[in-house]
This record gives sequence, C-alpha cells and structure tokens, in this order.
Amino acid sequence: MKKDTSNKVRLGIFISLGILLLIAGIYFIGERQQLFRDTFRLSGVFKDVAGLQVGNNVRLSGVNVGTVDNITIISDSSVNVEIMIEENVRRFIKKDAIASIGSEGLMGNKALIINAGVGGKQQIENGDSMATSPPIDMDDILLSLKTTMENSSNITNYLSSITKNIESGKGTIGKLLMDESVANNFNSTIANLQEASSGFRLLMKEAKISFDKNIDSTFVSLKEGSEGFKILMEKAQSSWLLWGF
Amino acid sequence: MENSSKTISDSVLRKFFLEVYSISAFTLRFFKEVLKPPYELNELLKQSFLVGYKSLPLIAITGFIIGLVLTIQSRPTLAKFGAESWLPAMVAVSIIREIGPVITALIFAGKVGSGIGAELASMKVTEQIDAMQVSDTNPFKYLVVTRVLSATLMLPLLVIFADALGLCGSYIGINIKGDVSAYLYFSQVFQSLEFNDVIPAIIKTVFFGFAIGIIGSYKGYNSNKGTEGVGKAANTSVVFASLMVFIIDMIAVQIASLLQN
Repeated sequence: MKKDTSNKVRLGIFISLGILLLIAGIYFIGERQQLFRDTFRLSGVFKDVAGLQVGNNVRLSGVNVGTVDNITIISDSSVNVEIMIEENVRRFIKKDAIASIGSEGLMGNKALIINAGVGGKQQIENGDSMATSPPIDMDDILLSLKTTMENSSNITNYLSSITKNIESGKGTIGKLLMDESVANNFNSTIANLQEASSGFRLLMKEAKISFDKNIDSTFVSLKEGSEGFKILMEKAQSSWLLWGF
Repeated sequence: MENSSKTISDSVLRKFFLEVYSISAFTLRFFKEVLKPPYELNELLKQSFLVGYKSLPLIAITGFIIGLVLTIQSRPTLAKFGAESWLPAMVAVSIIREIGPVITALIFAGKVGSGIGAELASMKVTEQIDAMQVSDTNPFKYLVVTRVLSATLMLPLLVIFADALGLCGSYIGINIKGDVSAYLYFSQVFQSLEFNDVIPAIIKTVFFGFAIGIIGSYKGYNSNKGTEGVGKAANTSVVFASLMVFIIDMIAVQIASLLQN
C-alpha cells in the first residue's frame, strides 16, 4: 500500500513536470509572437512584398519589435501588410514613419523594417497606415551586377589586348619597354649627358678660377683708385680755391 | 501450378483482410469499453506509472544523446556555409518536429509495445484472462483499456521530456566547439519555433501512443499458440507498432502541411 502511494506520487511528479515543460515551451513561443504582451496594430500598402510572409519579424532600429500578422492582396498592384508591434515602442514611431522590406541576412528571412520618422511629429495611432517604400529586389541587384560584370569583362578584354600589343612592342609604350634600340639609345644619351656634365664641371671650375683672378685684380684696382681719390680729396680740401665748401 | 499460386495469394489476402477486420473490431470495442463504467482508475494509474515513469530514464538518455549527436554531426555542414549560428534553430526544429516524437515512439514501441504484447499473451496462455471472465471481471476493460489509455497519455509526456533533454544535449554539443550562452541558445531556439511546429508534433504522439498500445494489446490478447505465441506476440507487436508509427507520421505531416497552407 505504501509502495503504491509512493508510485502515485512519482507518477504525479512525472505528469506535472511534463505538463509544466509543455506550458513553458508554449509560453516562450507565444512570447515571441507577442501573445502575452500588449500590442498594437499597424498596416502599410506595398506594390510588391518580395516574399514577406506572415510571422516574419518587424524591426525598428535593428531590434525585433513585432511580427507580420496578415498579408492580403487588395488589387493587382497593391498588397496590404498588417503588423503587430509591442505597445511600449509606440512612442518611438511617429506619424511620418516609413515601412520597407529588407532581409534578416544574406540567406535569411524577409523582415519588415520601420524607419521611425522624425522627432516632433505626433506618435502613431493604433490601426494607422504607414507610408511605404518599395523593397530592394534581389533581381534588380543581380541585374545591375550583371551589367557591371559585362563592363568589367570588356575592360579586362581591352587591357589584355593592350598588354599583348605592349609585349609585341607595338605602340609608343611597347617600343619604350620592349625595343632594345631605345634602351641602347637611352644608354648612349645617358653616357653623353655624363660626359657633357663632366665637361661642364671643368668649364665651371676654370671659369671660377678666372673669375676669382679678375675679381682680385678689380678689387686691387678699386683699392688703388680709392686711395688716389682719397689723396686727391685731401689735396682739394687744403686748396684755397675750394675754401668754404 | 498456377492454381496453387492463386490459392496462396488468395489466402494471404484473406488473412490480411481478416487481420484488418479483427484489429478494427478490437479498436471499436476499445472505444465502446472506454466510455462505459466502471472505470479502472487504479489500474490505469498503475499502468501509467509502469509505461510512463518507468520508461523515462531510457527516453531521457536517448533524447539527450540524439540532441548532442545531431548537433555535432550538423556542425561541419553548416560551418562550410559559415552558418554555424543557425545550428540552434536547425536542431530545435528537427528535434521538436520529427526526431523527438519518432525516436521516442520507436523506443516506446520496443519497450512498452513488446511488454504489453508479451504480458497479455502470457496471461492468455496461462488462462488468466479466462479466469477473469469467470470471476465476473471484464478482462478487456481491466487489461486492454487501461494499457492503451496509459500508452496514449504517457507517450506525449515522454516526448516532451525527450525534446527538452534533446535541446539540452544540443546546447552541450554546441559548446563542445563553440561558446554560446544558455540564454542566447534558448532564445534562438524559441525564436525559430512556432506553434505550427509544436502542436502537430504533440498531437501526432497521441496517435503514436494509441497505435502502440492497441497493437501490443491486440497481438497479446489474441495470441493462441502456447508459449511460442508469447514471443511471437511480443515480436509482431514491436514490428507492427514501429511500422504504424511511420505510417501515422507520414499522414500527420501531410495533414499538418495542408492545415498550414
């Protein structure tokens, strides 16, 4: 009898723990889907939702703040997207907020991204419709990438033909780089220049010597002249003819 | 020659349809008996203890190892794409949706299905079932209904435990070669899971448990080849119950995907 009771207690613990685990799991999953939080609803009309699905995240400043609740096609060129957002972030979203569709990663799911709008405007109300901007489509990116690739392919083809021409010595740069006579001419030009510069150096040396000599003789003449002039002035001062000056 | 092969195929088909008929009748009788009082509550609790609580260690170890191994084996493939951060989400969805329920049900079929089959068969062989009838006890209600009900109710609980321990095993598997906090790991796990993953997975385990209980009971209750029949009942219970688990799983996946769309 005692064993029977203890078995029943163990069974009770086992069942309670199992149910508790299930409830905890459901709570945490529900928490992510904002089932147990205060939420409010917004909507936006897109021309193309680029694969956005119900349950995808809604991001504000890179933080997950809600989920996509409903997507309905309302006409051939417009899709209405309804989202549920946590009530506590409402004060950050203004009336001029813009919704756009982005990706959670390179391979990740799509996400609805809210640009909160500028400060000073009134905060958004429950059930408001936001302005939207068209999503950047992967196909558009691939198309522009294709054009870029084609251009770069053309450029590399041109570069390849230019390097071929250079290698075969065609054109100015080809001759400059590949023709040996140019190099020889260049060497002889350098040798001539070296010779000319050494001759010029000698010339300059001789010129300097002769200049020094001339300067010296000039200074000697000047000195003699000034001395003669000094004597002449002294004589003139003592002459009576210039008395009074 | 042609005639004899035709007779053989006829008899095989006949046997098969007879089996289908008798198992359907057995199931119908279960539904009739389960609603009719008196209710064998004490026996139901006893069977639940034996079927559920006593299977917990085996299921727990298996669940833990499955989570650990799945994570270690999946890591290199995800690492090739630089997507190791997706490991918790991938393992969680695999365990909760498919691996946890199916592996637990298969082990449950091996342990409990064979146990029920062998026990009822040996009771049949030793004429204990007849004795119960004589003593004015409804053996179907006392033996079959309680076992099938306990298997139906206990398997979902065991799957919940196996899933939880599988996720813990996966957390350890991730931390063997990486460094992820428990908080980040479990928030990534719950981020990746939806009710569409959890609820159908739990509901299908109810059917797994019912199928295992009913097949085990049917094979045991209808065994009639002496002691040899006991082994055969245990063996065929496991084989048919395991097969039924996969068939129910296939149907459940189709229904779940239809409902999600």
